[in-house]
Amino acid sequence: MSMIGFWDVYKRSETGPFVKEQDFDRQVGTVAGQLAQKHEIRFDPEQVIPADDGLADRMYKAALELFLELGIYCRDTSRLIKFSREEVQWALKHAPTSVTYGQGPDTRIMRQRKIEDSLPPFCLNTPVGCTVAEERFVAMVQSYAQEPLSDTFSSAFSQTVGGRPIKSGTPQEVEAAIWNVVKLREAARAAGRPLIGIHNLISNAEKTDATLAAIQEEFGAHPNDGLGVAAIAEMKADYERMKKVVFLDHKGYNRYGLYGPIMGGYAGGPEATAIVHVAHHFLGLLAFGAQWHDGFPLHLMQGCNSTRDLLWLISVTGQALARNTHLLIGVSPFTAAGPCTEMVIHEIAAIVLAATVSGLHLNLVAVARNKLPERSSGMEARIGSETAHLIAKQGITRKKANEIVKKILGEYESKIPEAPKGKRFDECYDLKTVRPTQEYLDVYDRCKEKLTGFGLEYKE
Amino acid sequence: MELFKPIVEATVAGDEERCVALAQEVIDKGVDPLQAIEQGYTKGMAIVGDKFSRMEYYLPELIRCADAMKAAMDVLKPHLGKGQDGGVQGTVVIGTIQGDLHDLGKNIVKTMLQAAAFTVHDLGCDVQVRSFIDKAEEQDVDVIAASAILTTTMAYMPDLVNLLSDMNLRDRFKVMVGGAPVTPEYADEAGADGYGENAAEAVETAKRLVQSRRGGA
Repeated sequence: MSMIGFWDVYKRSETGPFVKEQDFDRQVGTVAGQLAQKHEIRFDPEQVIPADDGLADRMYKAALELFLELGIYCRDTSRLIKFSREEVQWALKHAPTSVTYGQGPDTRIMRQRKIEDSLPPFCLNTPVGCTVAEERFVAMVQSYAQEPLSDTFSSAFSQTVGGRPIKSGTPQEVEAAIWNVVKLREAARAAGRPLIGIHNLISNAEKTDATLAAIQEEFGAHPNDGLGVAAIAEMKADYERMKKVVFLDHKGYNRYGLYGPIMGGYAGGPEATAIVHVAHHFLGLLAFGAQWHDGFPLHLMQGCNSTRDLLWLISVTGQALARNTHLLIGVSPFTAAGPCTEMVIHEIAAIVLAATVSGLHLNLVAVARNKLPERSSGMEARIGSETAHLIAKQGITRKKANEIVKKILGEYESKIPEAPKGKRFDECYDLKTVRPTQEYLDVYDRCKEKLTGFGLEYKE
Repeated sequence: MELFKPIVEATVAGDEERCVALAQEVIDKGVDPLQAIEQGYTKGMAIVGDKFSRMEYYLPELIRCADAMKAAMDVLKPHLGKGQDGGVQGTVVIGTIQGDLHDLGKNIVKTMLQAAAFTVHDLGCDVQVRSFIDKAEEQDVDVIAASAILTTTMAYMPDLVNLLSDMNLRDRFKVMVGGAPVTPEYADEAGADGYGENAAEAVETAKRLVQSRRGGA
């Protein structure tokens, strides 16, 4: 067994085999497709949440083979960063077994979940950078922080800061990043949870200089807060993101890897994309030193992951990693419908169900395809967290979950392309009290009744 | 023409070897290469584009089919008549806008445009606003197409339009935009001429803009 550290990775990014980016992109699809065939990985639309340990294990093997064959593409140098099987195994063996967020009464510890685990998912609740008017930013993020089941929270995206739009690479981006940290902590205080962990301190800056300028104690960053470090497209990394790794190594903030493979994109269909998604976890572990891992696999055409094939992908990739590693893994649900609709509640329930029985934690939740301004609220996080907790508490099996999820899919699947955009935050919440409207609570109650009929016991 | 059906089939199958062999057969038999392109390869790629839009094909299949067509074009183009351009629909300069490194959407749009017989100049990722314009002038393109996946980079789209105006070039080029955070409303606010929600829509928008620029509707 051999140890590998960040500077070994960096060195390989300067010395690894040279490959044109276009050729690498094609190679991802070719190799993933071949491995899906070799390991007989097939998406079965009737087994949305498969109870097939063999499939999960084959998925894991395929992903490891893909990672060893392709490595990581470094965009700055056009070189491959490759690893031996022993190095990957060493990194997996020494991967963190827990991560602590927050302080004092708001200390929360993320631990590994297994398949069909009764330990509830860790709920990292966030509007996932939903665009919001500057004057409503604090209220929107407060609506997430104040939810009792929010283990941590994170940021919306303010349309302006100081009345000025935020543009990447400009002085305004630095100002906006600092503002973001200040306002997140202000929202935590307003929520009555001043010490709650912020799992991603900066989500409004693309450039690392702005990110690093803002992550300072005096602006509101606490030691157990953190930052996400994202892979760029399928199996790629770059120096802009790797700079954050160096900073985090020195400062000790938490970090997680962020991976968003696109089903229908470079990898191909659900099977190949699932293989690539699992392989991203090795990328995050080795290149970013990620303590935990958050996936947001998306459907190329629909921009969500509530479709049948994406639910399968979420479930089988979670199972593959939960059975074969002790990695701390999570997923970000993305819905097609917007707030205060029955459809968004059904989509959240379906994704949360697939994730919870498959060993995953939850980064809740991006709604309205994470595209429409002002369409996000803490109610979606509440719905996701409560549903996740009850699924874990009830000990729902994968087999039962599969029966339930197909019933839920029947409620919304055909409506995905024309999903309702829902209501704006200021229509879902009283902005003075930051409490959800009775209308939204009633919609949730109606859906709970229906979902209880499907087998999720909200009435306990 | 008996050759056109197998050309369509080979293109849809993404069979590069067969596409090239059929292109050679077109030349050997004295068939009009322009007709072979329009009624064979381009028609085949239209089917591929439809399949991709319905997700019967994924990106690897789309790329394979586009590669097969391109290989056949390399055989046919030298045999086109004087003044024939192979049925080129228009010329586009494309890239992800300043600061944006996410190119999946841009690459899909590029491939679909090429499949629809557009000439595409791909500037890649993180393209400075000025570079779009310089390339557009250099190649005398019809359309400048910019994509963004981040809200912070999308904010450069109005700059592109404004700089065109300040350089007295606004009437010379059409501008279309797209990408995850971009909405039709935002495209309007930014002063763009067109918007593509997805690759198929982007191709239709590009066709419309070319027609408009060249004095059509």
